[in-house]
Amino acid sequence: MERQRKIIVAILALLALIAVIAVVDVGLKIEKKSKTDIALKMPQFGPGVAVIRIEGTIEMSGPRGPFADPSGAEYVIKRLDEIEKDSNIKAVVVRINSPGGTVAATQEIYEKIWKLRKKNIILVASMGDVAASGGYYIASACNYIVANYGTITGSIGVITMSPNLKRLFDKFGIQMNVIKSGKYKDILSTSRDMTAEERSLLQEMIDLSYNKFIKDIALGRNMNQEDIRPVADGRVMNGETALKNKLIDQLGTFEDAILKAKELAALDEDAPVYEREDSPFQEIFGSLQNVFNGKTGIGSELFYNPHKIEYRYMQ
Amino acid sequence: MIFETFKSLRWADYFLYALTDPRELYRRIKQKDPDPFALSFIVPFIAALFDILVISLMGSESAFFYYKISYGWILIFIYALFKIVVYSSLVDITAQFFGYKGNIREIITIVNFSLFPGFLFLPVFYLFSIINFAPGFFYAFFSIVFFIWYAMIFIQGISEMHSIDFGKSFVIFILPALFIGIVFFLIFILLIITGVGFITA
Repeated sequence: MERQRKIIVAILALLALIAVIAVVDVGLKIEKKSKTDIALKMPQFGPGVAVIRIEGTIEMSGPRGPFADPSGAEYVIKRLDEIEKDSNIKAVVVRINSPGGTVAATQEIYEKIWKLRKKNIILVASMGDVAASGGYYIASACNYIVANYGTITGSIGVITMSPNLKRLFDKFGIQMNVIKSGKYKDILSTSRDMTAEERSLLQEMIDLSYNKFIKDIALGRNMNQEDIRPVADGRVMNGETALKNKLIDQLGTFEDAILKAKELAALDEDAPVYEREDSPFQEIFGSLQNVFNGKTGIGSELFYNPHKIEYRYMQ
Repeated sequence: MIFETFKSLRWADYFLYALTDPRELYRRIKQKDPDPFALSFIVPFIAALFDILVISLMGSESAFFYYKISYGWILIFIYALFKIVVYSSLVDITAQFFGYKGNIREIITIVNFSLFPGFLFLPVFYLFSIINFAPGFFYAFFSIVFFIWYAMIFIQGISEMHSIDFGKSFVIFILPALFIGIVFFLIFILLIITGVGFITA
């Protein structure tokens, strides 16, 4: 009996040894994988750089839903708030991939970034495919702007538009019944021609927003307004031209922007980079939500509402 | 006292008889020398770790292992405990339904020790993993083999506990399993319906 007990203890010891070997084996495999194709997400600590992404058309609120990817100006500002309160964040890379968006949403983000800049947090803008109009507006609040050669940027200006369907309505005999409290209440109506007074009113609003745009860019870029105006006629340009026009500081990649942020914040090259990541559940259910909502990779651009005044590059 | 019990190796009998003689295992459990109840929970605790290791050896990027093994281990253990308590309770209710005396404590102990052969899953699977010989197939194959082994120990334990034949104890074993299976199936259907409704809302 005693012998059998000893045998079972030996078996248990052997199992423990195999478990230890398996732990080491799996650990080594993880290390090997992390050096090649799979990046291990290990907890990071200490002073570092935060990354915040501004993607797509800028609007005040992002898509709604329990698993929707948080976005929109409100989310960006909330995230910047968290960054502001985190003493470990010494620099921020604002990754922009946006053609711009509504005036108010863009200005809110600009003001928030500017507030962080005044608190001596280093901000580096990294431009992706497009950082035009409102996208550029936001970038201009940063201390330093990095763009790729092929980045589409510029498009400094303000736009609003609406289709005039009067002749189409006439053709089909459609008439709109409009009861309004004031003569401008149906401004930008699609069912009639715009009056000269309405045009003048809207133009004034556009000009004011444009002047604010120029003023803010000049402030952010530390340039004279007069130096910006020649290229602020709505033209788009690639990164190289933007560099010539001093709208950006450097040509480079996202990685270069991270390195620049570390350099400006006097951080080590291996300082941690903090970025919000979706949980696997959010990714799975977010995709499902899009599928059930009929969004299968086609953006909301098809349903673009023209009744907005925007800092936006119209593609 | 605990050290003396440990040194005597009497506790090893539970593991020994779980492998060799499940009926004797139950008789030892009844003798309570030493008290097997607390000791038996070591088995699902270790089994939870071995589960993580086997899945990791399969090459799956198990978040439990890769990121926070301690959390994963505890989570799987709690999940195993939940399953054991629920299943044991159902087995006890079924046994009482057939007119046998209930004893949830002993049933939980039997269930726990029945999981012991599952420890061998790791070394056996490891072998196929190292030689890289159809590890996926052998993972599925040994999962079935060790489940049958677990069921055999448990059914024999129940048979000995209530002094009934193998067939009756098999019915006591299978009815709660069927019940749980049906309940989980219905929950799954309900979750899908609710989930689709929630996502599309």
